[in-house]
Amino acid sequence: MKKILLILSLTLLCAFAAQAKLNVVATLPDFGSLAREIGGDKIDIVVLAKATEDPHFVDARPSFVVSLRNADVLIDGGAELEIGWLPPLLQNARNPKIEVGKPGRVQASQGIRLMNVPTNVTRAAGDVHALGNPHFTVDPIIAKAIAQHIAQSFSAVDAANAGFYDANYKKFEATINAKLQGWGAIMLPFQGQHVAAYHDSWPYFAHRFGISVDVFLEPKPGIPPSPSHLTDVIGQMKSQHIKAIIVEPYHDRRIAEKVARSTGAKVVDFSQFPGGIPVTNSYVRLIDVLVSRLADALK
Amino acid sequence: MNKFILIGVATAALASARAQDAASTPVASPDVESLRQQVQALTETVKALQQQVKDQQAAIDKTNGTAPASSPNPEGSPVAAATSPSPAASAATHFATEDASVVSSTSNAPAGLPGPGVNANGTATSGSFPTTDTSVVSSAPETISSTGAGASLTQPISIGGGGKNYMNISFDGLFALAGSSARDLDHIEVGDHDPQQRGFNARNIELAFDGAVDPYFEGFANIVFKLNNDNETEVEVEEAFLQTTSLPFNLQLKAGQFFAAFGRINPTHPHTWDFADAPIVHGRLLGPDGLRGVGAQISWIVPVPWYSQLILGVQNGRGGTGYSFRNPGDDGMFFDRRTTDRELRGLQDFVWIPRWENSVDLSPTQVVLAGVSGAFGSNETGANSRTQIYGADFLYKWKSANAEGGFPFVKWQTEFMYRRFEAGRGANESFPVAETFQDWGMYSQIMWGFKKGWVAGIRGDYLDMEDSKFTDDFERQSRSRISANLTWYPTEFSKIRLQYNHDFLYENFFLADRDVDSVFLQFEFILGSHGAHKF
Repeated sequence: MKKILLILSLTLLCAFAAQAKLNVVATLPDFGSLAREIGGDKIDIVVLAKATEDPHFVDARPSFVVSLRNADVLIDGGAELEIGWLPPLLQNARNPKIEVGKPGRVQASQGIRLMNVPTNVTRAAGDVHALGNPHFTVDPIIAKAIAQHIAQSFSAVDAANAGFYDANYKKFEATINAKLQGWGAIMLPFQGQHVAAYHDSWPYFAHRFGISVDVFLEPKPGIPPSPSHLTDVIGQMKSQHIKAIIVEPYHDRRIAEKVARSTGAKVVDFSQFPGGIPVTNSYVRLIDVLVSRLADALK
Repeated sequence: MNKFILIGVATAALASARAQDAASTPVASPDVESLRQQVQALTETVKALQQQVKDQQAAIDKTNGTAPASSPNPEGSPVAAATSPSPAASAATHFATEDASVVSSTSNAPAGLPGPGVNANGTATSGSFPTTDTSVVSSAPETISSTGAGASLTQPISIGGGGKNYMNISFDGLFALAGSSARDLDHIEVGDHDPQQRGFNARNIELAFDGAVDPYFEGFANIVFKLNNDNETEVEVEEAFLQTTSLPFNLQLKAGQFFAAFGRINPTHPHTWDFADAPIVHGRLLGPDGLRGVGAQISWIVPVPWYSQLILGVQNGRGGTGYSFRNPGDDGMFFDRRTTDRELRGLQDFVWIPRWENSVDLSPTQVVLAGVSGAFGSNETGANSRTQIYGADFLYKWKSANAEGGFPFVKWQTEFMYRRFEAGRGANESFPVAETFQDWGMYSQIMWGFKKGWVAGIRGDYLDMEDSKFTDDFERQSRSRISANLTWYPTEFSKIRLQYNHDFLYENFFLADRDVDSVFLQFEFILGSHGAHKF
């Protein structure tokens, strides 16, 4: 009995200790990284999806329910990328603080004009998202907007530290504004170039840096590459002199390598998420690496 | 801005000069001649001015880069903007001394947090690369309603795009082509949604609805249509319940018609199962339809650092979906007893269904979930006969850290059930003896998702029914089964499954032993809203 009491009091103590910081849950590692920029050491953050796994298919682990139950702030994409796993977690978490519309809920897509919004929704086109392409954080200008939403949410929920969050946001914004100059300069020689990718995750990145990522190894989003489609892709890549194929950590790299061998293009390892590829522990580092890797491949 | 005005003035001057020039040519007079000279002089001046402007612009570019590019039509579609990324492409042609501009631009960061629209106005930095873009970040929160709704059930996801419906609707069709060495496949297969005859079967055609009722409740409904062996349509209200969203103290209340939270298989719908049929122990102890009924359930997430949930359900437990409980049986007979089929007498006649489940992450790629369940109530085989069912379940799942589409993975699931069934002497003590059956069984299955869209599985089933010299019922035959299957999911909205079953039915006091081989080809499609997968 004493033991139980001890454990109980310890748990309560832990709960109180955790209360000192803002409990933040981010569905995806990119949102988590932005939250760290804003929240610094004033928040405890849990990121649900791993940076290396397919964000469309994440297991709705019971431990996520515990994180969501304890959350003061939830940051999700709001553009149906997590539709296959977030709704049952939220149903079970029973946490009114993170309901849509509450200050503790940041839906990253809010205020973002999503690209490629389908005019007709049909699954014959593969896994198209009815609200538009949800892979938007890789555009640094959009990342700033998300970071600002996060700062506003943190300030609303934890007013005592509003100045801290505000200052961190300004710092982040300044960093991105500065960094954009360098990234823009690196990408400058490749304006208008075409690039291939395994999955259509890169329209926002391409738009920002003036390239076109418009040839995909997947015949339709989410549909595995077929031999006949790859033959078409190889032909297209040759005629457009495409020099790079973007793959993400969870894609079948061997398929990209095969296409690369037949076309002379390079396979470029990309990730939408900080931590998805080595030495990308922050958002800025991630874009640094993406820009320099792509520029190397396009040279 | 200055130089734009300069250019404007200069071109205007030039144009007027040219116009005068053209007008004057037809008339040749000395006055005209002098005028022409004046005009020529003017033209020279303008040209010189133009050159000056050009030089000045170059100089400005050298020091500062180009002026901040104005945003490309904010109302325009981002796709169009993507094909002609004017801010990025055109401005970028003037990168020269980017380091200087980088430094200067940082000091010019916008102040304050103006609103969710983020620096859409008045944030022009002196850098050469645009740092704002109203084509992707809208300036006013009002303009983005279509993207704000979504991923949460409190704001139902539409099926037609745009989050504008109050309810998610989906349709699921599950069919099977069956071949079997047994003529009585409906006796070999224990679940109501399993293949029931040789040839084609349509046992689970389901309409599913869900959505937020209001700020306090969510509603769910699953209506199942199935075709019996004479191809007549039968309808089942499989589930229809509401669930609270915002009770305090981590509590949640559910009420209506729903599957009891007993074990792993029982609370789930057949189309989410890993095999084409129900485990034997599930069909025989909880019932062909599983344990479900009208009732209420409260659950509590225990405030401990790991996932721990206590659930207590209560249901009428009456009829075929309360199989081991207040089930009048076929033609008023159950386990050979004439059933009492009485009205509820008190709390003891409800089925009470407690469950405790716990889960921990062993590592970032491994999860374990374990639970114990119970179901306690009375049955209809005697005036005071009772049923107790106990269950234990275990799930282990490994999923690759580099999973694509959720593959590869390995999932091991096991359930054990024990039932103590007091079979009374039937209505009016019409049966010669009262018996107590101690029945138990289990199944264990391993699913291996070896490649995106492909899953191979094996399952072992065992059921031990206490033998009786008094009860001649084929449902009380002890048996076991081994199954193997291979499933291909072209997408998460369709599947094709090939399954092989080998059944052993053991001899008892009334029945001879026999072996049965069966093969099923199951196929499924889902229309409508994107269902989410529970763990």
